[in-house]
Amino acid sequence: MSDFLRQYLLVILFALLAVGVVGAFIGLASLLRPNRPSKGKLENYESGVDPVGSGWSQSQIRYYIFALLFVMFDVEAVFIFPWATRLEEYGYFGLLEMVIFIAILTLGLGYAWRKGVLRWA
Amino acid sequence: MRVTETWYLTLSALLFTVGFVGLLVRRNPLVMFMSLELMLNAVNISFVAFANKLDDIAGQTAVFFVLVVAAAEVVVGLSIVVAVMRRRPSITADDLRSLKG
Amino acid sequence: MTLAFLAQQTIERIPFDSPTIDWHAFAPEAILLAWTCLVVVVDMVGLERARRFMPGLTGVGFLLATIPVLTLWNDGATRSLFEGAYVVDRYALALKGLFLISGYVVVLLSTQYMADGDYYDSEYYILLASSVLGMTVMASARDLITIFVALELLSIPAYLLAAWRKRDLKSNEAGLKYMLMGIFASAIMLYGMSLLYGVAGDTRLSVIAEKLTSEGTKPLLTLAALFTIIGFAFKVSAVPFHTWAPDTYEGAPTPLTAFLAVASKAAGFVAMVTIITTAFPGQADVVEPFMWVLSALTMSIGNLIAMRQTNIVRMLAYSGVAQAGYIMAPLAVYSQTGQNGVSAASAIVNYLIIYSAMNLGAFAVVIAAARKTRSGEISSFGGMLNYAPGLTTAMTVFLFSLAGIPPMGGWLAKWQVFSVLLQSESTWGTTLALVAAVNTVLAAFYYLNVAKQMWFMPAPDGDTSRVRVPPSLVAALAITVIATLLSGVTGLVPDITDFGSIALGR
Repeated sequence: MSDFLRQYLLVILFALLAVGVVGAFIGLASLLRPNRPSKGKLENYESGVDPVGSGWSQSQIRYYIFALLFVMFDVEAVFIFPWATRLEEYGYFGLLEMVIFIAILTLGLGYAWRKGVLRWA
Repeated sequence: MRVTETWYLTLSALLFTVGFVGLLVRRNPLVMFMSLELMLNAVNISFVAFANKLDDIAGQTAVFFVLVVAAAEVVVGLSIVVAVMRRRPSITADDLRSLKG
Repeated sequence: MTLAFLAQQTIERIPFDSPTIDWHAFAPEAILLAWTCLVVVVDMVGLERARRFMPGLTGVGFLLATIPVLTLWNDGATRSLFEGAYVVDRYALALKGLFLISGYVVVLLSTQYMADGDYYDSEYYILLASSVLGMTVMASARDLITIFVALELLSIPAYLLAAWRKRDLKSNEAGLKYMLMGIFASAIMLYGMSLLYGVAGDTRLSVIAEKLTSEGTKPLLTLAALFTIIGFAFKVSAVPFHTWAPDTYEGAPTPLTAFLAVASKAAGFVAMVTIITTAFPGQADVVEPFMWVLSALTMSIGNLIAMRQTNIVRMLAYSGVAQAGYIMAPLAVYSQTGQNGVSAASAIVNYLIIYSAMNLGAFAVVIAAARKTRSGEISSFGGMLNYAPGLTTAMTVFLFSLAGIPPMGGWLAKWQVFSVLLQSESTWGTTLALVAAVNTVLAAFYYLNVAKQMWFMPAPDGDTSRVRVPPSLVAALAITVIATLLSGVTGLVPDITDFGSIALGR
C-alpha cells in the first residue's frame, strides 16, 4: 500500500465504524419496536400537506438575494486563506494589501446594507 | 495504475466539450448557465494539472482568480436571468427573439 | 500531491520580498479606483439626493485620472512593474488616455438620457467607472492572469449595464445575450490560456514569447493560440463571432451602446494586439492566416448586412463590425512589417483613437435626434437639415469620416492600415488591402444614404419643430467633432501612436 493511501486508512476505519454503530442501533431498534405498516405511512411527508404540483415552485425572492450576496462574499474568502498562512512574511506590505481588499469588500457590504438589501421584511 | 497529468487534461477537455455542446443545444438560460460553469471549471482542472506538472504556483493562482471571477459572473448572470424570468416565466432562449438580426 | 508533501511545503517557507511599487506608474488606476469608491460612498450617504451629482462626479474622476497619464507621457520612460506583468509605456498610455476620455464622453452622453428615464443613476455611473478601470488595467497588462482579470472587470459591469432598462424586454434580452456570449468567449479564451500556460510554463507574455520561440511549433500551441484569439474575436465582434452585437446594441440603453461599440471593443483589440505581438512573435505562420480570414470576413459580411438595415443603431452596430475588420487587418501581416509588429500596433491604436471619436459622435447625434423623433429608423432622419442644421452638419462630418472621405479623421485611419498592409510587400497583405478597398467603396453607400436622408429628404411626419439638445450632449458633440476634424487635418494622432522602436513591453 502506498504512502498516499495509508494516510486515508484512518478515514476508512472511521467511516466503517460510523456505519457499523448506526447500523447496529437501527438493527437493534427494528428487533424491539412494533411493526404495523399502513398506506398512509408510505406517503411523502410534506408538513402534513398532500404533495401536489410539480417540482418547480417559486420561492421568495428574498432568499435569492441573500444567496447571491453569500456566494460573492464566500468566494472572496479564498484570497484571505492563503494570505493568512504566510501573514508574518508578508509584513506591512501584505497587511496593507489585505486592508485595501477587505475595505473594498466592506464597502460592498455597506452599500447592500444602506440600499436595504439586508432587510428581511 | 498511476494517474498522470494526461488523465486530468483529458478529463478537462471532456468537461469543456460537454459544457460547450450543452451551451449550444440546451435552450433554458439556467441550463446554459450551468454549461458555462462547467466550461470554466474544466479550465480550472487544466490549470491545476499543468501547475502540478510544471511544479509552478502560477497555475494555481490562476484558478483562484477564475473561481472568484466565475462567482461574480454567476451573481450578475443570475440577477439578469431573474430579471428576465420575472417578466416572462418559463422562458427559453428561442423565445428571446424580439431582437433578431 | 500527498499530504506529507503539503506539510513539508508549509515548513520550507520561501522568503517573501515586498515588490517595490512605482506609484507614479500606477497613479491613473489608483486614482480611478479611489474615486469610484468615493462615488459609492457618496451614493450610500446621499441616496436619492445624490443622484443628480453622479454624472458630474464620475466625469471629474475620469478627468482626474487623465492627469497622471499626461505626466507619465511627458516623462516618456517605459516602466515595468511586478516582474514585467504590468508595463506602462507609450502604447499603454495612449490607450489609457483614449479609454478615460471615451469614458468621459459616455458620461456626457448618458447624463440627460439617464436623468429622463426611471433608472438607477448612481449605480449606472459606478459600474461605468469600474468598467473603465478594467480597460485602463488592460492597456498595461502583460500577463495572462492580469489580462483575464482586466477583461472580466470591464465586461461584468457591461453585462449589467446592457440590461439596465429593467422593465424593457428588449433590454433584458440584450443583457442576457451579451452575458451568455461574453462568458462563453471568456471560457474559450481561458481554455486557450491554460494550454498556453501548459506549453510555456509561465503566465508572463514576454517569458511565453521566449519559450515558444525556443520550442518551435506544436499542435497544442496552435490550439492554444487559436482559442485565445477566438475569445477576443467575440469581444471585438469579429465575424463569425459577431451575432450578439446587433441585438445587444439595439436593446441596450443608447449611451451604453456607444460605450460598448467604442470603449469595450477597443479594449478587446488592445488585449488581442498585446497578446499577438508580445506572446506570439514567432507564431506568425499560425496567427497571420487566421487573422487574414477573420479580417476579410468581418469587413465584408459586416458591410453587406449593414446595407440592409433600416434602424440606425443596428446600422451603426454592423458598421462597427465592418470597422473591426479594418482595425484587425494589420494583424494579418504583423510579423512582416517594421519593428516586430510595432508598426501594426501603431496603425491599430491610431485607428482605434479616430474610430472612437467619430463613432461616439455618431451615437451622440442619434441620441440627440431620438429625443425628438422617438424612433431609431433611418427614415426618421429625413429633413433634419431644416429643423436641426447643427446636428445635420455634425452627423455629416461623422458619416464622411466613417466612410473614409478626406479630410475627416477616418481617412487617415484607413490610410495607416493600408500603408501597413502594403508595406509587408506580400501577396497576403496586398490581397487584404484590395478586399478592404472594395469594402470601403461598399460602405460609402450606406453611410452616405443617411446623409442623403438628412439633407435632401422631407421630414416623414412633417414635424419640423426644433430639437432641444441638452448642454451635456452639446459638449460631447463638440469634443467628438473637434477630435474627428483635428485628427484628419493634422498628423496629431499618428504622432501619438508612433511608438518608435519601443517594443511592447519587451
